[in-house]
Amino acid sequence: MMKKALPYLLLAPMMIIMGVLVFYPVIETFSYSLKKWKLTAPGDISFVGLGNYVSVLKSPSFWYSLQNTLFLLAVVVLFTTIISIAVALFLNVESRVSGLMLAAAVLPWALPPYVNGVLWKFIMSSGYGFLNKLLITLHVTDQPVEWLSSRWLLLLAVALVVTWRSIPFMALVCLAGRKALPGSLYEAARIDGGSSFQIFRKITVPLMLPFVGIGITSTSVTAVNVFDEIVALSGMGDLGKNIVVESYLTTFSFLDFGKGSAITYLVMLLAGILGIFYLRSLNREVMYG
Amino acid sequence: MKIKKGYWIFMILFLICTVGPFVWGFLISVTPEYGMFGKSSSLLPEQITWDNYKILLGGGRQGQLFFTGMLNSLKAVALTLLLGMPAALLSAYALARMEFQGRKLIKNMLLITMVIPVMATIIPIYRIYADYQLLDNIFWLSVIYVSALLPVTTWLISNYFATIPKELEEAALVDGCGRMRAFLRIILPASGPVVVSAALILFLNTWSQFQIPLILASSLATKPVAVVTSEFMTKDAVQYGITAAAGICAVVPPAVLALGLRRFLISGMMGGAVKE
Repeated sequence: MMKKALPYLLLAPMMIIMGVLVFYPVIETFSYSLKKWKLTAPGDISFVGLGNYVSVLKSPSFWYSLQNTLFLLAVVVLFTTIISIAVALFLNVESRVSGLMLAAAVLPWALPPYVNGVLWKFIMSSGYGFLNKLLITLHVTDQPVEWLSSRWLLLLAVALVVTWRSIPFMALVCLAGRKALPGSLYEAARIDGGSSFQIFRKITVPLMLPFVGIGITSTSVTAVNVFDEIVALSGMGDLGKNIVVESYLTTFSFLDFGKGSAITYLVMLLAGILGIFYLRSLNREVMYG
Repeated sequence: MKIKKGYWIFMILFLICTVGPFVWGFLISVTPEYGMFGKSSSLLPEQITWDNYKILLGGGRQGQLFFTGMLNSLKAVALTLLLGMPAALLSAYALARMEFQGRKLIKNMLLITMVIPVMATIIPIYRIYADYQLLDNIFWLSVIYVSALLPVTTWLISNYFATIPKELEEAALVDGCGRMRAFLRIILPASGPVVVSAALILFLNTWSQFQIPLILASSLATKPVAVVTSEFMTKDAVQYGITAAAGICAVVPPAVLALGLRRFLISGMMGGAVKE
């Protein structure tokens, strides 16, 4: 009897924590999203069905922030993928400094994203930013560029900082993929007279693809959930807000718990679709691994 | 020869991009306020001042605020490790080594929770915490971090346990050791590296927290360092130097740990994503 119960006993602490603080709240959020519920009018809670969703989908503010989210998603995934593969191949080269390079490579991942955002703000800022000083020194421009005051430049800046933070993880995953490729494959290809480019295209790329898949999907989930960097670079302003910021503001600034929960569920839908791809690539890797 | 040159060029570019932001942040933190906006486009400060660090590490209002923030983050890290590590180790052992009904289901649920965004759980949690007066409490804040980080740590540790040869444990079981003694005597001592990796991942992620404490910890006594830094940015809008100094101080503990224990960090990051 004891023997049968043991695994459940061992799992109990985790299951209780996850049950109370993850599964129950996720369901509860859905039930909030079906209610008219503002903390500014605490007595006035009523069931409105899909009313919150309808009003969210009708609000221009939601579509504005969804556009921002999709822009961040596209740019972050594109840049992270290309740069991470390059960094992984670079880290794969054995040299006197390769250990040091690996250490430098993980640094952006290990540090608080908010603080990373602040450090990058010092680079992009129009007055004392490094970028403007550099561009003026190089005579590319003589007027400082306002990187953080127009919508698309600001989003591009946010995307770059998020890319910078996402590269370490994806580069490591790609590196793991590259290291898993048997060296004999490369020798055989070289003996058969394959050029470096042919070897890269016909061996490295296709065999690394499952690993790139894990990296892309995990980066997508990160990109949809960006919050810290946006707040660091633009405060809680409307210009660069994505849906996560929109749902945060609706819930905790305007205290509209019903509508905020509805937006959250729409974010989760998007993150969930990307997440399913992530889990599938992860599971496939586990099976073949 | 040509390849070698390309390697060094890439290396320099790579280092500038990775370490550059920290160097620039440091330069801002030692530049006197008036030197920052000067018309000059020179990249290096003409004068160096340590005033910002003196203010942060001194006993004034801002120093107090910052010191408390660092201490709060450290307390949260300690609590997260204390609560998270035992829970993760025990569940990982059960998932990696035992056959029971619902094992696959629990494993899949763990994976699913890895992609649930913070906002999807925080609204009801905020309400529950408000009802039971748990807001502004480092312990209950840390419990939320644990719930967010348990899936990835459990997954990582259980992947590692699965690679330990079964024979080791079976010999102990035959010798009359109970399951739990076999775990403590055989499995745990053989898992040093993954324990360090998991603890490191818990440490770094807890130190990085911003959105959750922004919602659940509004008082001075509980705010972590990232939130305190954000307040230098908004409330004292003109003091870029102090914000930069705070940012640099806030990255020192995790940076030192990540560099010092990089072997464990890298294997942890890889092991959580790719089964070896």
